[in-house]
Amino acid sequence: MFSTALRQSTRLQRSLQSRRNLQTASTVNAAEIAHFSRLSSLWWDEHGEFAFLHRMNPVRMQFVRDKLLEIARDEGDENTARLGAGRDALSGLDVLDVGCGGGLLSESLARLGARTLGIDASESNIGIASLHASADPQLSSQPGSPSSSGSLQYRNTSAEELLKDKKRYDVVCSMEVIEHVDNPPAFLSACAELVKPGGHLFLSTIARTPLSYLLTIVAAEYVLRKVAVGTHTYSKFVNPSELVSFFREYHSPSPLPSPGADSTRPSRPWITRTYDNGLPTRTEAEIRGLIYVPWKGDWVLMPRSSTAWGAAECNYMFWVRKPAE
Amino acid sequence: MASLSVRRALKRSGSQILTRQRRTSSRAYSSENVEDTDVVIVGGGPAGLALASALTSHKIVCDSLKVTLVEAGDLSKVQDWSLEPNVFSNRVSSITNSSRAFLEGIGVWDYVDEARTTPIQQMQVWDGVSDARITFDASDIPLGSSNVPECSHMAQMTENLNLQRALLRRLSTIQGLKLLQRVKVDLIQRENRESGTGWPLVHLSDGSVLRTRLLVGADGFNSPVRSYAGISSYGWSYDTQAIVATLNHFERSPFQAPNNTAYQRFLPTGPIAFLPLSPTVSSLVWSTKPPLAAILSKSEPGVLECMINAVFRLPEISVRYLHQRILDSGSGMSKEQIQEEIAWRERSDSIPSHSAYASASKSASEGGIPPSDAEAIPSLVTSIQAGTVASFPLRFNHADSYIGEGAGSRTVLIGDAAHTVHPLAGQGLNLGLGDVEALTRCIIRALGQGADIGSYTALIPYARERYFENHKVMAAVDKLHKLYSSTAAPVVWARSVGVEVLNELDSVKAALMMNAGAYGHTGGNNGSGWNVLARGVEVLAGTASAGKMLGAGLSGVIGQGLQTLLKSGGQR
Repeated sequence: MFSTALRQSTRLQRSLQSRRNLQTASTVNAAEIAHFSRLSSLWWDEHGEFAFLHRMNPVRMQFVRDKLLEIARDEGDENTARLGAGRDALSGLDVLDVGCGGGLLSESLARLGARTLGIDASESNIGIASLHASADPQLSSQPGSPSSSGSLQYRNTSAEELLKDKKRYDVVCSMEVIEHVDNPPAFLSACAELVKPGGHLFLSTIARTPLSYLLTIVAAEYVLRKVAVGTHTYSKFVNPSELVSFFREYHSPSPLPSPGADSTRPSRPWITRTYDNGLPTRTEAEIRGLIYVPWKGDWVLMPRSSTAWGAAECNYMFWVRKPAE
Repeated sequence: MASLSVRRALKRSGSQILTRQRRTSSRAYSSENVEDTDVVIVGGGPAGLALASALTSHKIVCDSLKVTLVEAGDLSKVQDWSLEPNVFSNRVSSITNSSRAFLEGIGVWDYVDEARTTPIQQMQVWDGVSDARITFDASDIPLGSSNVPECSHMAQMTENLNLQRALLRRLSTIQGLKLLQRVKVDLIQRENRESGTGWPLVHLSDGSVLRTRLLVGADGFNSPVRSYAGISSYGWSYDTQAIVATLNHFERSPFQAPNNTAYQRFLPTGPIAFLPLSPTVSSLVWSTKPPLAAILSKSEPGVLECMINAVFRLPEISVRYLHQRILDSGSGMSKEQIQEEIAWRERSDSIPSHSAYASASKSASEGGIPPSDAEAIPSLVTSIQAGTVASFPLRFNHADSYIGEGAGSRTVLIGDAAHTVHPLAGQGLNLGLGDVEALTRCIIRALGQGADIGSYTALIPYARERYFENHKVMAAVDKLHKLYSSTAAPVVWARSVGVEVLNELDSVKAALMMNAGAYGHTGGNNGSGWNVLARGVEVLAGTASAGKMLGAGLSGVIGQGLQTLLKSGGQR
């Protein structure tokens, strides 16, 4: 179903590219926003509704950090070698957190030195996130604070709206969001467009498999009651292969064609080649499974495994890089 | 309440909310001087000082966190502490190899006066009733399993003050720490915030208030931080008092091994331990019944010395008789009276006067070739260093959790604030250092992930690593205490069979020694040795109670118990 949607979307994409100045269709789902707004006051209860997300956050941060470091090392980037140990691993980077919720990820990004903007379509989420950050002197940037420390801002807006600004970001993160939006291809395109050339897009979501249905909906929502009923909709889950095929076909819209320029030259897709098993190459994109280990009460990032989809049967992280052009 | 605040907050833009909130919080406490800080450690004991040293030894901490340590006492006295070479403080600890490796790693060991420490090569532990004996030797440590290169000893006896002074000297070289001494914590409050995410406010006796991201309770058994965090604890007092003292004794003769064996005799009234500090000085930790401890620690000079010598040597029945005589005397006996009683017991136990077990006649002072069994017991005590006799009650206590939640969030407990253990295995200080190592590792990892180090999520790995670990050790030590308090024949038989068999099984012993931290380690998974001990003790204790009820079916149970113990030893 999603693949047909993807095919449609690539059509949509092309039409968008041709009709550049048209308003982008909103991907925000009103019912989802209402659902999360009701829960917004619970974002920072580490034992409550969002306990799983709190536990997942360190692993997500580890993945973001390690991947940025890996790429920096590949490119012999001396400056970023400090990514290894320091607390200013992300300093100097413009980072966008799309669908920031209560700001779990945004706060961590800012603490690592990123100039962070968290956006969310829910007003009350933004309220909670701002209120929570205000308690932390490390996050409310004061004059005289060390230059290495990042900054944190929140805005109640959507990715599509943000595209109207000229600003683009070194890193765009959207964690556990795509399974809650309408028209995922349009959402992906919006996120992708917000990335600077050579920048990074990080996603995390849930694969559409029998296992994920059992764990995230039956177990978490109905049996264990760890997550509010109705948080997830199975048909909205996204498989890793669908993300890969999306970015195999996705071309960054080229800059506004100036008269006389060769506007027919296509930019290369974000993923140019895959292995026989369908996995992308390490320098273009990566998929890593995230497994909750109940007896440890913790999430574990699966290694880049030899099995085709890296144990990404349920939750997984996805990274893709925008071609530098 | 939260939703209300959100609605109000929504009327403004995000950045305005930030400033408004900050203004509110500063207005509420404007009468006082509130300072934002990241880590406040309450308590300047070994655990608190070690945590301050460990944290500030990492660049990432110095770069990104403000660390403050608050201590009510005068630490400069500790920093300037100094004694004559052969005079020792009465509070000593055995620093295990793993604790030592940790102290070296954070740059503290360089400041320890090593001349005042003594390596322990051997440990002799015996059952006071049956005389079944187990000997641990450093050479039993299998080669290659240690990551401390020259691991020629099992542990190192060190005065607590020597370690504390080293920690303070190390800290005095560090810029990143704010050390407040002679400052009391008057009150700990939770900051009042609409969102219910208030941070702890620590009101100090100098009038200042620290608003802290993380509050560390290193404040001992009666931890105020633990009460603020609302963490309850369970525990009990043993009906036991520990007498400590610094003992002067004869030097071992050239025909004997040097004074580097720790001796411990388990009596039904509690264990008595002799811990070497120098060739002629050792430390005493004698756990016994409170009335006896009260009389002995106040008795006239010479009485305690005689009793120590006798209690290491005489059969249990004679020890019991002497205890009774002292209790009957009410206010204590004179040195002559007690010597007379001991001499009489030696005669009736037919101990020859040239034997190592004779203490009434100080034959060992004559030199020459020592009796063949002289290695089995400590040297004869000649005197006690002035002012070193003290006694304190023993208790077992374990906090229900190491991390505060809800209204007590952003708190964490280490050391005695988290757990108080019977000192018979000398584990208290080492458990505290283990906590410090784990908490530091946890904080460093959290910093690297951009986490809020005061959050419950960031601290879980610490609690997960330490809680069960400490519990195992504490339960094992507690069970040992209870096991050896019994004089019931089947129990004594069971435990002496256990000890005798253990002594013959080098591999099992090696596993047991690991629990005492004989192997230096840096990783987190250091509990396997204790595991074996804990299980072994569990089995023995189970046997003991079964023995009381059944008696007859005992041998089968023990057989099974030992099998379990051996199997677990073999699996290692």
